[in-house]
Amino acid sequence: MPAPPELVALQSFLAGAFRREQPIADDPEVAATARVHVAGNDRLTPVQQADIYREQFWSRHFDALAEDYPGLAALVGARAFDDFVTAYLTACPPRHPSLRDLGDRIVAFAESWQGFAPVTMGGDPPSPPAHRAAAIEMVRYENALVDVFDGPEPPALDAAKLASVPEDAWDRARVVLAPLVVRMRLAYPVHTFRIAARAAADAGDPPPPAPAPRSVCLALYRRDLVVTYEELDPVAFALLEALAEGDPLPRACERAGAGLDDDATAELGAKVGVWFQRWAALRWIVDVALD
Amino acid sequence: MPDLGVGVGLRIPHYPAILGSADDAPPPGPLGVDWFEIISENFMVAGGLQLHNLERAMARARLVQHGVSLSIGGTEPLDREYLRGLKALLQRTGSPWVSDHLCWGSAGGVHLHDLLPLPHTERVVKHVAERARAVQDFLGVRLALENVSSYLTYTASEMTEWEFLSAVAEEADVGILLDVNNIYVSAYNHRFDPNTYVDGVPHQRVVQMHLAGHTNHGTHILDTHSDHVIDPVWDLYRRALRRTGPVSTLIEWDDDIPPFPELVAEAAKARAIRDEVCGARAA
Repeated sequence: MPAPPELVALQSFLAGAFRREQPIADDPEVAATARVHVAGNDRLTPVQQADIYREQFWSRHFDALAEDYPGLAALVGARAFDDFVTAYLTACPPRHPSLRDLGDRIVAFAESWQGFAPVTMGGDPPSPPAHRAAAIEMVRYENALVDVFDGPEPPALDAAKLASVPEDAWDRARVVLAPLVVRMRLAYPVHTFRIAARAAADAGDPPPPAPAPRSVCLALYRRDLVVTYEELDPVAFALLEALAEGDPLPRACERAGAGLDDDATAELGAKVGVWFQRWAALRWIVDVALD
Repeated sequence: MPDLGVGVGLRIPHYPAILGSADDAPPPGPLGVDWFEIISENFMVAGGLQLHNLERAMARARLVQHGVSLSIGGTEPLDREYLRGLKALLQRTGSPWVSDHLCWGSAGGVHLHDLLPLPHTERVVKHVAERARAVQDFLGVRLALENVSSYLTYTASEMTEWEFLSAVAEEADVGILLDVNNIYVSAYNHRFDPNTYVDGVPHQRVVQMHLAGHTNHGTHILDTHSDHVIDPVWDLYRRALRRTGPVSTLIEWDDDIPPFPELVAEAAKARAIRDEVCGARAA
């Protein structure tokens, strides 16, 4: 049975009214329609009653994003964060049942958002473009934290299967990485800034200075239910990237070692063994597939 | 539906008191509550700490699922992916029933994440009842719909809220989660007699009750779950119990969350009132 059309129309109107950034009373047309549908009483007018829900829409979603993106708030400052969240929720209204997914389009939105202004938080303020780049990286990082926190538990690596891979099969074997190992190249150490910012907030101190540029190859992952990270050697990171793209080990090593001098290339073989042992221990490697 | 006694909402700040500090920690002492209610959406995830803690909580007490995003009064098709997630969680928790709110929360593909009141009309009764029946059939357990706190009423309404709630429950053959605090809040906001509401619902359909604190702004009350249950709400609870008999009861506290012992004390108060009204019994 189709929904009553008058109910469809009512909900469509209210869903728009409740998402308005400005009070309903500020728009005469919306206010007039609210008065048609909402009864009001001797304490609150129909428009005031409807505005309670509008205020709740913004406070609820602002709080949810502030909880998931505290690093961004600390980095750009309260006013810029408020502007960003308002613009994001306006452009990308929530479309999932759970608030956990509120940031489903936030990375793409941040990349297009021009509103991150520099702030002075001790030391010299960064230049606007640099500040914007750090803010976008923070959004990417904090968005990844949400996914790694409650993503599916990776299966354990089957040691017997690993041992049974014939020596001559490694040329075509593909190493399968755990989906929850998120690899990020950062131009700013936003991961350490976020930790410092949270510690400052817990202590009631002002946020730390904005981070200076530093190139970081980061792997974000979950271990024993706790989300953590590891800064990687750039060559190890390149190897991990190549493996993630499906390259067999020799090809991945070749790509990772491209541009290295002879000495570094000679050391690579030994390093790869150490890296593999560590990655297996961290459960980043979950399988070996033979096509 | 089984009477589970008196429970509280399972909330993260209370995990140390409920679960202990680590997996290998000695079991904490007696809980002081009979069961936990979980917000379903918080646990409809693929893995990680939340599900791990859910399993640990299940080892301590019975869990009941309570949702906030079903939008049973919405006009878009029921969200099958959401319902599959809800059902998968049911298989994990063994919740004896599942509840959500008699409201709408999404329209035009947008989730407002709010519990928005519906106009009380015959046509809306039929619309909601049809959807509620479909959800209950799909989930395979009793669905209970909760009366919401509301801050507005509609000019289109043709009946009282309790008549609307009763009609939906009867037409859909679903249960009622009677939120006694919500009755008080809405009665204040819309100037009706809360006693008439309590007397007016089909008591045999009440499978659970909610109790909570709220915030009075003078012009209206907001259902904030941020304080102790006030005496007039306890009185309404007594009145409801006289009609329903002993029913699973839950204390909700979601903002300004107190230490766990303070919440347990609130639950003990509810238990004492149950015993006073219904006679002492083991939950």
